[in-house]
Amino acid sequence: MHNRFRKRYSYWLLTAPGLVVFLLVIMFPVIYSVSLSFTEWSGYGTPKFVGMKNYIDILSDSIFLHGLRNNLLIVFISVFGQIPLGFIFAYILHRRMVGGGRFFQTMIFLPITISSVVVALLWNQIFSASGLFTAFMRIITEDPRYVIGMFEQKNLAIVPILFVLLWMHTGTYMVIYLANLQKISPSIIEAAQIDGASEGQTLRRIILPSMFPVIATTAIFAISGSLKAFDLIYAMTGGGPAHFSEVIAIYMYVNTFKYYKYGFGSAASIIIILLSVGLILILQFFTRRIERRNG
Amino acid sequence: MRTTRYGLLIGMLLLLVPAVMFAGAQREEAAGQSGPEKISLSVYHYLDQTDKTTAPNFQELVDAFSKQYPEIELTFEFGYGESFHNKLQTLAMSGQLPDIILLYPGKRTAQVTSAGLVKDLRPWLQGHEDEFASMAMQPQGKNGEIWELPEDISITSIMYTNNKLLEQLGLTLPKTMDELLVQGETIRKAGLIPLAMANKDDWAMQSCFAGMIAERTCGLQWFDAALAGEASFSEPRFVRSLEIIKQLHDENMFSPGVNQLAYGQGLDDFVNERAVYLIDGGWTVNQLVGELTDSQKAYVTLESFPDITNQAGESGSTSATAGQGFGMNAKLDEKQAEAAWKWIWFYSGPEGSAIRQRHGRLPAYNLDTPKEADPMIQKLIRYAAKAPMGYVLDAVIGAEPIGVFNNNLQQMMFGNKTPQQVADELETMVDEIDRGN
Repeated sequence: MHNRFRKRYSYWLLTAPGLVVFLLVIMFPVIYSVSLSFTEWSGYGTPKFVGMKNYIDILSDSIFLHGLRNNLLIVFISVFGQIPLGFIFAYILHRRMVGGGRFFQTMIFLPITISSVVVALLWNQIFSASGLFTAFMRIITEDPRYVIGMFEQKNLAIVPILFVLLWMHTGTYMVIYLANLQKISPSIIEAAQIDGASEGQTLRRIILPSMFPVIATTAIFAISGSLKAFDLIYAMTGGGPAHFSEVIAIYMYVNTFKYYKYGFGSAASIIIILLSVGLILILQFFTRRIERRNG
Repeated sequence: MRTTRYGLLIGMLLLLVPAVMFAGAQREEAAGQSGPEKISLSVYHYLDQTDKTTAPNFQELVDAFSKQYPEIELTFEFGYGESFHNKLQTLAMSGQLPDIILLYPGKRTAQVTSAGLVKDLRPWLQGHEDEFASMAMQPQGKNGEIWELPEDISITSIMYTNNKLLEQLGLTLPKTMDELLVQGETIRKAGLIPLAMANKDDWAMQSCFAGMIAERTCGLQWFDAALAGEASFSEPRFVRSLEIIKQLHDENMFSPGVNQLAYGQGLDDFVNERAVYLIDGGWTVNQLVGELTDSQKAYVTLESFPDITNQAGESGSTSATAGQGFGMNAKLDEKQAEAAWKWIWFYSGPEGSAIRQRHGRLPAYNLDTPKEADPMIQKLIRYAAKAPMGYVLDAVIGAEPIGVFNNNLQQMMFGNKTPQQVADELETMVDEIDRGN
């Protein structure tokens, strides 16, 4: 009895510092943000309780809905673009299907070592209306007023950003997969090949099942990262022109810090959290089903 | 054993306390012996520290102040762009507002001034009011308070003109907008840009053009009435100003991809003689002084946008506002406030204004035109003396309505909204948020 008490006491003692930090740094801001999201507050005076008004306003705002659509496109390009490409590159390099593996590994990983703001400036230098590509196209088309029309179309303005995100983050996944591929014992693959397994069968039957937990984890990172995407987009376009390339994190930022609507901004941030948690739960549901099916 | 250890620890700590206290006293004594008591003040300023023109110019002013007032020690913290305002808001909310803060006369920093966080400068300013341009002495608070002493008069819309290009194309300065539109074809055929402008950051079209054109179509009196709620932004005369922007955009008068160009690109096109006209604020003279060659300075002039049909405003008018300036924290005691005022007065008064004028600014403090000043500065001073001035929209309309309006101007240029819709939305937001607040 005395021993059990001492054990419990020591558990509490050991976890207390971490728990206190977690409550102060993570839980307090979230709870504070939730309570603020039901108010109207400009930063001064007493917040005025407005119930669900902020949430209703946000969910019926076409700018928010367009931002959400852009976020979902980023989630799509992350999960179905960055992850598969990262895996393919990692697999090619791991299985030494091309020469100069180290060179390609460095080149693919290079973009992630550059700051988002620098990447944004770099791509702007190339594709902006005063950029290199535009200047080149003006010579070819002999039209001194040529500009890339995509940037001025509501539904397409996000596409260049998706491309840059794909270019920038694929390397991260590649490195994660490469590290995990190296953990698979070569003797298993060799044994399979001696038994006559083709490259495709080795991939499907041995490598993919071994990599599945890592792929599922990276998918969670990709979803949560995509929903809070901010820095690169803000530096590239600021969400413009006319909100065309806006995402919900920029929507939240503008309303909170430009218009001083702290309650409204908090509601937007809570929506981001809920979306993130919701999508991750859906992913986990499917992941568990697949794992169960694979035994 | 344990008790002894605790005892030793407490003893050591007690020994440290007087040591720390004496160290502090010695420092104060040393300061007292070396001359008059030093006063340290923190200053929060709007400055791009990487700007090769404005940053050294500002440092020159600080050095001159330090030489004159060695007993006042200023510690600067800088912000630039949107981050300046975000940080100011955070500092204000957390009760950590610096001693001296750069503030704006209109709505831009109203969240700080209207919350009673800064002192009214009138007691210090008393007797000096006539030394400033009348625009700079407009009341900034509901009871006539002056929260900040404006450093400059900020003219936000000037049509910088390259007369050499005009002559080469066989054109003359247009007197009406219709003439300007006709010129557009000749200019474009020569592979040049008629009106260089960059509106990616979405404020430029509103700040450097819409205010001026609204003054022309509506007139100042009507605008006062609209701000007070006695007239509506949905009225045809305001809608007409937006139609003009749309027309100029649709007829390819602005830079190609005007809404994709980052601010500064218009200036680049103009300096490199790829554009005949540049629409930009008076602050651009600061850059032009360094960027233009001496021969360019001879043929570049500062003009007003030409007259428009049936204009209600004045011919040759522009948009202007009293610029930003320093204010002081309401919590400062008498001694600190006196020291803070010395900096505020030095900066916006005769000494600082003379330094800024030498570098191409248009001070709010009345100064004679310096004969040795750069030709572009002399042109700016002459322009300011003759041009009637209307409102800058973002100086008189709140942050949210103007933010939405800026975006709507882009939507309108892309054809997603009509001028009437943009005007209606502005009216709704101004009515909900601004009027009566």
